[in-house]
Amino acid sequence: MDSPEPYQVNLFRPRAGYMRGEVAVIFAALVGWSGATFGFQLLLTLLENSGRGDWLTGFSFFNLPFHYWFTAQMLPLWFIIICIIFNIRIDRLSEKQNRRREGNHD
Amino acid sequence: MIDSGQKMIPMLIVLGVLLVFVVAGLMYKAREQPGYGVSGSHAGCMGGGAAIASNWMSAASFLGIAGLIYLYGYAALAYVIGWTGGYVLLLVLLAGQLRRFGKYTAPDFIGERYDSPGARLLSAIISVAITLIYSVAQFKGIGIVFSWLLGINYTSGVILGASILMGYIILSGVLGVARSQQLQYFVLIVSFILPLMFLAYRLGYFWILPQFGYGKAMTDLALEFNINIAATPFRELGLFHWTALCFTLMLGTAGLPHVLSRFYTVSNIRDARWSVVWGLFFIALIYWSAPAYAIFGRLLEARAGMFLPPEIAHKMADIVVLRTALMGGLPEWLVGILAAGAVSASFFTVAGLLMTGAASVSYDIYYRLINPHASEGARMKLAKAATLVLALIVLCGALDPPGLIAEIAAVAFALAGNTIFPAFLLGIWWGGTNRQGVIAGMLSGVLITFSQPLFGGFVPVVNTIFPLTASALCGAPLVIFVMILVSRFTEPPPERIRRFLAEEVHGHLE
Repeated sequence: MDSPEPYQVNLFRPRAGYMRGEVAVIFAALVGWSGATFGFQLLLTLLENSGRGDWLTGFSFFNLPFHYWFTAQMLPLWFIIICIIFNIRIDRLSEKQNRRREGNHD
Repeated sequence: MIDSGQKMIPMLIVLGVLLVFVVAGLMYKAREQPGYGVSGSHAGCMGGGAAIASNWMSAASFLGIAGLIYLYGYAALAYVIGWTGGYVLLLVLLAGQLRRFGKYTAPDFIGERYDSPGARLLSAIISVAITLIYSVAQFKGIGIVFSWLLGINYTSGVILGASILMGYIILSGVLGVARSQQLQYFVLIVSFILPLMFLAYRLGYFWILPQFGYGKAMTDLALEFNINIAATPFRELGLFHWTALCFTLMLGTAGLPHVLSRFYTVSNIRDARWSVVWGLFFIALIYWSAPAYAIFGRLLEARAGMFLPPEIAHKMADIVVLRTALMGGLPEWLVGILAAGAVSASFFTVAGLLMTGAASVSYDIYYRLINPHASEGARMKLAKAATLVLALIVLCGALDPPGLIAEIAAVAFALAGNTIFPAFLLGIWWGGTNRQGVIAGMLSGVLITFSQPLFGGFVPVVNTIFPLTASALCGAPLVIFVMILVSRFTEPPPERIRRFLAEEVHGHLE
């Protein structure tokens, strides 16, 4: 249903142009965020329940059991990485938008 | 000796550091423009990040995280991830748009976006409640440090600590001390990491980066004493509860009023976004390090043949950072530096929170709703009185603290995640959210947050879905659903607001 509403703002129905690009970057970031955080713990539980718990816990990384290292040290780092990528993508998007705008003015 | 007796040198250092902050603030003020210069006119991304981190860091980060890991091991990492991962949500969903909206306190944003004094009042009350709960956790941290340093009981410690805190707030208020948050962050991080390096060195582990060095200590703990910190909790605690806790802390981080209001110090949207990255990095520095204190603490105890029964360990957990430093044979002045870091982290947080809370009482509740003709002077007086009253309420709550520091703080996060976060999220991302929707949603959010103590006794399923510290995984989606449903069946918000949202906040119209 395409509403004729002139001022519609909806995360799931972004308007064409900047907002559509922005929302795509947002969803990509959210997938990376939730996948690494909750996906990993889910995987860990599934392996544990099927008796293969040591696949992720049995070897060490930086002196720490791998799953512990991943959760305690890699995840905070991963969050920083997501934020950096997000910012770079949004910066690029804004630049493109600004260029397009200036083009329109000419 | 470790858990009783006076530790005079550390105590003097704590007081000395607080004094230095007051003096530094006065010198800072002399250089600054008049007025409430938070951190200079233009702080830059890195400076803005340090301000975000210093604003964030409290007793829960400084003492609480290590205490939880000391007790629960891997399971407690939910706090580490929750309190860092929340910044991703904040950045991705709110930061830029909020900066464009131009309202930074929760009542201001909600009152303006929903065009409703009722919603403003409700969000102001909720913000003050969050402040109170969060401050109880800080007071517990302050009390426990003072009682440990002076060898007095906890009650005396928390009363003494609260008095010193009020003295600090009044003194800074009277002298007009400017707060340099960059300086604060620098002092906090050095006072946390320097003793840790020393400790790793003393114990013979890799000390240059103790964040990695403690891995060996964990292995030793497992080999020598068969204590496995990294054991996964999913069998006992269950994946659901762990995930719910982690998710709640994340939403709470993105919805905590004093975190949201940070964006107002940075000059433009791009800087606002990049300063979040720096802030997250500075916060992560603490969270990468905190587990090391817990592991070293367990190892030192085990080597000394101390195997504390669970209830004693539970009592000790929140002081484990300082206790470990002393057990590890750190020089007293270094223990003092560490204690000073913990005390100033909670002091700055509480001072900021109480003053914001009091300002909210005097402006959002009194001036905007009760007496619109109140003079500036009358509002100032009320704000000062409110600071005192809020502090007393917090003190009463902290006299008999209901849980560990980080656990108390988690309740404040759950409340924020169930009320403020959905109100901001929908306010920014769905133009159709109206005042009826947001009021209904926030009220149900409050009910959900406290549903375990309220209904848990006779509706057992509530204990599983909405645990007190982890209610937002099921709660926040429910609140969002309520907001959407009610908004759908009532009239849409005024066109002026929808237009502002579409054109200014989500601008860049083709």
